[in-house]
Amino acid sequence: MATKSEASLNLDLDLLHRLKSTEPPVWLAPRAELSETARKASKIIFSYLRTYAPKSPLDQLLIEGFDAEQIWQQIDLQSQPLLSSLKREVKKFEKKPEEIGKIREVLEGEKKVVESVGKVLEGERRVLAEESDDFDEDLDDGLDDDDEEEEEEEGSEGEEEKKGKGGAEGGIEDEFLKINELQEYLEEDEAREYGLKKDSNDSRKKGGRRVLDNEEDEDEDEEDEDEEELGVFGDSDDNEEEDEHRQKLENAGYEDFFGSKRKKAPKKNLKSIEELEEDSGLDDEEDEDEAVETKKNDNLSTHEKQSEQLRAEIEKMEKANLDPKTWTMQGEVTAAQRPKNSALEVDLDFQHNVRPAPVITEEFTASLEEMIKKRIIEGQFDDVEKAASLPSKAPRELKELDENKSKKGLAEVYEEEYVQKTNPAAAPLTFSDEQKKEASMLFKKLCLKLDALSHFHFTPKPVIEDMSIQANVPALAMEEIAPVAVSDAAMLAPEEVFAGRGDVKEEAELTKAERKRRRATEATKRMTAKKARDNTLLNDNDGDYLIFS
Amino acid sequence: MQSSMDVETVSSQTQNEPGPLPPKPLFEPLKAHEMSDGRVQFRKVNVPPHRYSPLKKVWMDIYTPIFEQMKIDIRMNLKARRVELKTRADTPDISNLQKCADFVHAFMLGFDVIDAIALLRLDELYVESFEIKDVKTLRGEHLSRAIGRLSGKGGKTKFAIENATKTRIVIADTKIHILGSFANIKIARDSLCSLILGSPAGKVYSKLRAVTARLAERF
Repeated sequence: MATKSEASLNLDLDLLHRLKSTEPPVWLAPRAELSETARKASKIIFSYLRTYAPKSPLDQLLIEGFDAEQIWQQIDLQSQPLLSSLKREVKKFEKKPEEIGKIREVLEGEKKVVESVGKVLEGERRVLAEESDDFDEDLDDGLDDDDEEEEEEEGSEGEEEKKGKGGAEGGIEDEFLKINELQEYLEEDEAREYGLKKDSNDSRKKGGRRVLDNEEDEDEDEEDEDEEELGVFGDSDDNEEEDEHRQKLENAGYEDFFGSKRKKAPKKNLKSIEELEEDSGLDDEEDEDEAVETKKNDNLSTHEKQSEQLRAEIEKMEKANLDPKTWTMQGEVTAAQRPKNSALEVDLDFQHNVRPAPVITEEFTASLEEMIKKRIIEGQFDDVEKAASLPSKAPRELKELDENKSKKGLAEVYEEEYVQKTNPAAAPLTFSDEQKKEASMLFKKLCLKLDALSHFHFTPKPVIEDMSIQANVPALAMEEIAPVAVSDAAMLAPEEVFAGRGDVKEEAELTKAERKRRRATEATKRMTAKKARDNTLLNDNDGDYLIFS
Repeated sequence: MQSSMDVETVSSQTQNEPGPLPPKPLFEPLKAHEMSDGRVQFRKVNVPPHRYSPLKKVWMDIYTPIFEQMKIDIRMNLKARRVELKTRADTPDISNLQKCADFVHAFMLGFDVIDAIALLRLDELYVESFEIKDVKTLRGEHLSRAIGRLSGKGGKTKFAIENATKTRIVIADTKIHILGSFANIKIARDSLCSLILGSPAGKVYSKLRAVTARLAERF
């Protein structure tokens, strides 16, 4: 064996040396011999590592007929879990440097040391086993690691079991009382007292595992794992066990999920008690239900029932405190932050900046109408009266635009303008002046008439020397304006009115003598007139005398 | 040196005596005739065909003031359809010729003789011409409407502007001529332009009133 191993070792080394010695540029081009060498070397290394990775599915690296990618995958398959376990081991040794020595001793094969180590490891293993429930992520790793560690600790475990069964070492322990279990219980109780969550997680994990055993529900398990993880990460790192717990979390394996059958029966009762008494900050309803079921089974005392209720109340309140507040308690909330139409349900209190509209009632309208009627009767209206604008200055003369063709030529226009500028007096009356004159005449006439009516300011008519026909109207009408009395004093003098003797009598008025006298006068007048005629006639007819007697 | 001094004293002696200075030359103003080296000056004014018969009608009214008062020779070249003006020997002022030419030209543009005569009598009267298309490009019906707006009904808008601004306006199809003094031409032109651009006559009237009142107030 030794020679074979030595020979193989030499061969391996030879291969590796060959690989190492090739120049870097040689690697650039693909070469068959190099590839062959590399494959063989990797196979050898794989086989070496196989011992440390017992859980890898490949016994040896398959290189014939496989391309680089596949070989690489195989190597990866083996090395990944290996690497993580190595990392963990390194971390562990970082924390506990003394263990390195111990491990060495183990490797060297001293059983006693193994025992002592085993005791230490027991605790670790126990915790490992307890915490191995958790794990979504690296199941493979967990499995691998678990297997690895369990391999290591199998011996110790077996010892423990032997112990347990035979009661050889302890003497105290028997079927019902197991020192280990008691220790665990005490730890958990202490933890509960001091409020360390990790213990509860421990016990819960244990319980969880038991529950799983009972129910075989994987989903639950994963929930548990999540919560336990949270719990684990939330806790302080004071305890060394914390790290171990974390490590155990990562090493979940089949046993952790489904539980190893050997531990099932004896720990069942203990678990139920633990579950009952633990302060469950659990959100896992299943667990609580389990607990409730067990409680009911046990017929609680009234005090316990009350305390249970209280606890539930407290839990509810705490939960409410942790939850985000309702929107009404959140201070400034926009419409987007609250559910739809939620403001309608809540009685909101805020200040109104506007006066509320007046409610129109019958009394209101009646009062209005009363006021209106009163105002109408009084005549007191609120009309806006226009304030008379004071004449600030005389209104400007508005020049009328003449729309007819001007009769004057342009030269005349300018001539007039020039004359007006130089000699204003001699300027002929402009169109506006004539109009003014006419207007003033009209106004004077009007004023005269109005003054006559009012009688206050009397101004006589202006004397205009001109020939005019004088009518024989009563003089008072001309001189006295007010018709105070009617006078028949005529304008004309009497002789102007009638020129003649005053004996004007009508035929009817005459007496007989007067009538005779009138006739006589008329006759004499006739006679004289006739004589005068005859004379003239006679004088004319000198030539022929025709005497007619 | 002594000799030079002697000479100086001699010269000064001669200067000291108030000698007879040559008389200051008296230049009388040049007559129109003598200007331009005594050559006669001409002006020629074309007669457009539509002013031919009106010219024949008022020829004497044109001829008399030019010949008598302005002392410019004027004749009508029938063949070339031109009015020709020429300075005479006794033309008092060379500007007379130009004034007469302007006067005749104004008549040719379409102004009345009595209006154009003002050009002869007053110095500071001018004639300004522009076209409707200078103000706004109008075509077809719009152009006709603009011309109608300018004249108004029976010419009343035009007369209103004329009377208000003391100018004379001639609207010849699309050409507009304004005769008057500088400021008045401006006012009349503004009113006409606003009419061309489309403002109603009432608006133009109110503006005119305001402007002319202001003008009148100034004097």
